[in-house]
Amino acid sequence: MTFSSITAKVMSMESQEKGRLHPITQVIRAIYPVFAELGFEIADGPELEDEFHNFDALNVPKDHPARDMQDTFWIKDKAERMVLRTHTSSVQIRYMENNKPPIRIVVPGKVFRNEATDSTHEAQFHQLEALYVDKNVTLAHLKGVLETMFKRIFGDDVVIRFRPSFFPFVEPGVEVDMRWKGKWLEMGGAGLVHPNVFKAAGIDPRVYQGFAFGFGLDRVAMLKFGIDDIRSLYNGDLRLINQF
Amino acid sequence: MKISYNWLQKYFSQPLPSPEKLEELFIFHACEIEGVESAKNSDGEIIDTVLDLKVLPDRAHYALCHKGIAGEVFSMIGIPYKSKESSNIVVATDEKPTIKIDAASFCRRYVGRYVEISDSGQSSAEMIAQLNAIGQRSIGPIVDATNYVMFDIGQPLHAFDADKVKGKIVVRAAKLGEKIELLDSSEGVGRNIDLAEGDYVIADDEGPIAIAGVKGGKRAAITAETKHLILESANFDPTIVRKTSTKYDLRSESSKRYENEITPELAMEGMKELTELISEAIPDAKFGPIVDVYPIKAVQTVIEMDPGYISERLGVDIPSETSEKILESMGVLVTDVKQMWQLTIPFNRFDLTISDDIVEEVGRINGYDKVIGILPPKVDGVVKVLPAYYLSEKIKNILVSRGFSEVSLYTLVAKGEVETAKPLARDKAFARMNLNDGMLSCVERNVLNADLIGLPSIKIFEIGHVFSNTGESIHLSIGAAQVKKVKGVNGKKLIMEVIEIIGKEIGVDVAALNSMLTIVEKGQLAVCELDLGELLKVYKLPANASYTDLDFGPTSANIYKKISPYPFIVRDIAVFVPEAVTAEQVWAEIESAMKTLTIGAADTKAGEGNALQLLVRHSLFDTFKKDGKTSYAYRMVFQSMERTLTDDEVAKIMLSINSVLKGKGWEVR
Repeated sequence: MTFSSITAKVMSMESQEKGRLHPITQVIRAIYPVFAELGFEIADGPELEDEFHNFDALNVPKDHPARDMQDTFWIKDKAERMVLRTHTSSVQIRYMENNKPPIRIVVPGKVFRNEATDSTHEAQFHQLEALYVDKNVTLAHLKGVLETMFKRIFGDDVVIRFRPSFFPFVEPGVEVDMRWKGKWLEMGGAGLVHPNVFKAAGIDPRVYQGFAFGFGLDRVAMLKFGIDDIRSLYNGDLRLINQF
Repeated sequence: MKISYNWLQKYFSQPLPSPEKLEELFIFHACEIEGVESAKNSDGEIIDTVLDLKVLPDRAHYALCHKGIAGEVFSMIGIPYKSKESSNIVVATDEKPTIKIDAASFCRRYVGRYVEISDSGQSSAEMIAQLNAIGQRSIGPIVDATNYVMFDIGQPLHAFDADKVKGKIVVRAAKLGEKIELLDSSEGVGRNIDLAEGDYVIADDEGPIAIAGVKGGKRAAITAETKHLILESANFDPTIVRKTSTKYDLRSESSKRYENEITPELAMEGMKELTELISEAIPDAKFGPIVDVYPIKAVQTVIEMDPGYISERLGVDIPSETSEKILESMGVLVTDVKQMWQLTIPFNRFDLTISDDIVEEVGRINGYDKVIGILPPKVDGVVKVLPAYYLSEKIKNILVSRGFSEVSLYTLVAKGEVETAKPLARDKAFARMNLNDGMLSCVERNVLNADLIGLPSIKIFEIGHVFSNTGESIHLSIGAAQVKKVKGVNGKKLIMEVIEIIGKEIGVDVAALNSMLTIVEKGQLAVCELDLGELLKVYKLPANASYTDLDFGPTSANIYKKISPYPFIVRDIAVFVPEAVTAEQVWAEIESAMKTLTIGAADTKAGEGNALQLLVRHSLFDTFKKDGKTSYAYRMVFQSMERTLTDDEVAKIMLSINSVLKGKGWEVR
């Protein structure tokens, strides 16, 4: 069926009385109930972040290439070194500084990377972060939550697998793949919270463990809705928004 | 990291699994593979397979070499290592370099050796083929040997022309005003560097002969005529090497390995292997004694842990014998001390410092597929609500129910108070101070498409962060424009109406809400903005508020349909028909008129089509009755996915509709 024959069925100009939520909001709303059932709260934090919360506390070494100019939007002329946050992981630290375990949070939010844009890369995009801190937390819990979440969005036949990976703030660290419509897709990073992260946030790693993961909401929205260019999510064009 | 299959095989006494099988093993137990390629000889025959491994950054200490990767293979499948032949190098001359380290924190070890060669010799065909396979050109036996050792065991090496080195070799900080002319680059042009504070050099009595760990200088470089050499196998501080190599844009395979930190223990191994390779290529080479300056010997990390911790973290029951076997395959010495493990970590494994690192090693080698997902225990009670999030989601629901659609616009814009140090583009240097500016142009752009989208008015909102000298806050912006003319309705009226509804539904006094608004009008368009943080101060969260109060609605099941990049054309048509004729009947005639009009194949990917396929939207926008007749007025929007439609083409379609309707005896106005 072509585009025109579908839209030709829209008979009235007044047919679209309701507005539409942005695809990213729709994805967050589709995902969150899975977490609500498991007791996860929603948490937030600033997009303009200090170096401590964005890097130091997350166990990113001082001379790590990720801190380089080419990857991070550093802010000019500030007494304190500030960045546009490169991940929602900074909110893990902010939350742990102010709350005692057990902790169960999800953090949807906008993040920034200083890289050239194309149909799959944008200087701004959205992530969903999850942090779970308790006693006796295992990698199996992480996998269980990820499976439940991706099944809720993409259907019961998706399969989740882990591959070895590296992120300074988790140990072990894994890459999460999802098999959907016969293809394996990279969905995001995950792992057990690194003890140094707990120490930086004032939690005793000898007592508590945790898992954390983060993935791109844009990628989920693009897969779910068949959107082919990430930039079209940010140009405010109702020709796209009002399709959903 | 490019790994030659043949090179890797040299480590084992049994055949490796196929490259395909190796690839799979690496993906699930070590790291991603960026590519697998065949290497060909000069006759075009395939002689080797090259696996391009994306070695994880924390493993670069040990895995940026064939030996490191062989270790991974050994851990994964346990095929036996080939035993190494013992070295038979004899010290044939007393000549040796004098080496002094004047910067012990920068240079942890410096191993040097003098060599005398009578002829230039030749690298073995096998070595050249393996270097070629991983993308390295053969340059000459000495350079080939240093390169080979680096890609084999990860130790960068350097060779100086001993006759050009004046006096002793000193590793020290660069002095103010010191310069160095670098070894010719591949373009054959030497480069002069003015050294600065923070740089470290290898110097002789006359000055720098190399930027330590980064690049050799021209003055003491080896040439085809070189007969006496000083070989260097050293260890330098990773951060300083990274800073210097980045500063002068001189990053190389050597600097990359130093940057990632390698153990000083490797330096002696590097010197020994280099010596053997030179001796193979140049059998009459005479070697002096090895000079080893190693002020502070490296110590091995010892991790104490409960072996049960591994299964506890992975959520998989792994027998401790299995874990022990995996760790021992990596060269970890496992000692039992009162039900606890004392693990002595190999020198090159800087990535293994805590018990959680051990969990990862066992977890990945054992296989993450063994981890079976389970849900964490449920918690009792209601999930706590984040007021700011609850309020913004509630406002989104109200706005959507009143026809407003949500957008997410760019944070980085041309103007503002918070500036990024290195913007992507000049018009994206600042974090936005307000949402209104972006909203205004967003409404303007959408007004142009109102007919195409089929909207009588454009109604948009955004919730987003804004930034100023005084800090960051979350704002709501609403924009509106009435496109289809309705008396007394304009953008501002649409906004004020919905603001009133928001005020009532969230229980905030409308006058108070209005006082928070910043309204901007442009013609009949309007946008407004308010600080949700301020609103939150006067907003009262309902008692027992829960996200389930908010309808999170069904997710759209629609799949994106591409937007045509070409302009659209709007035409109206009004028809007077007898009262008994319905609007549906009229439209059926219009459609049939379009169906009989063929259009070119260019407009339909599937081949030839009819004019109906160019109609992207239509609506009945006016109906009235007069003197026993009814007038139906339709608006029709035409657009092609493939090209720009012309007025003439659309005129032809309208003419054809006209004639069909007139043929029915109806009056077209």
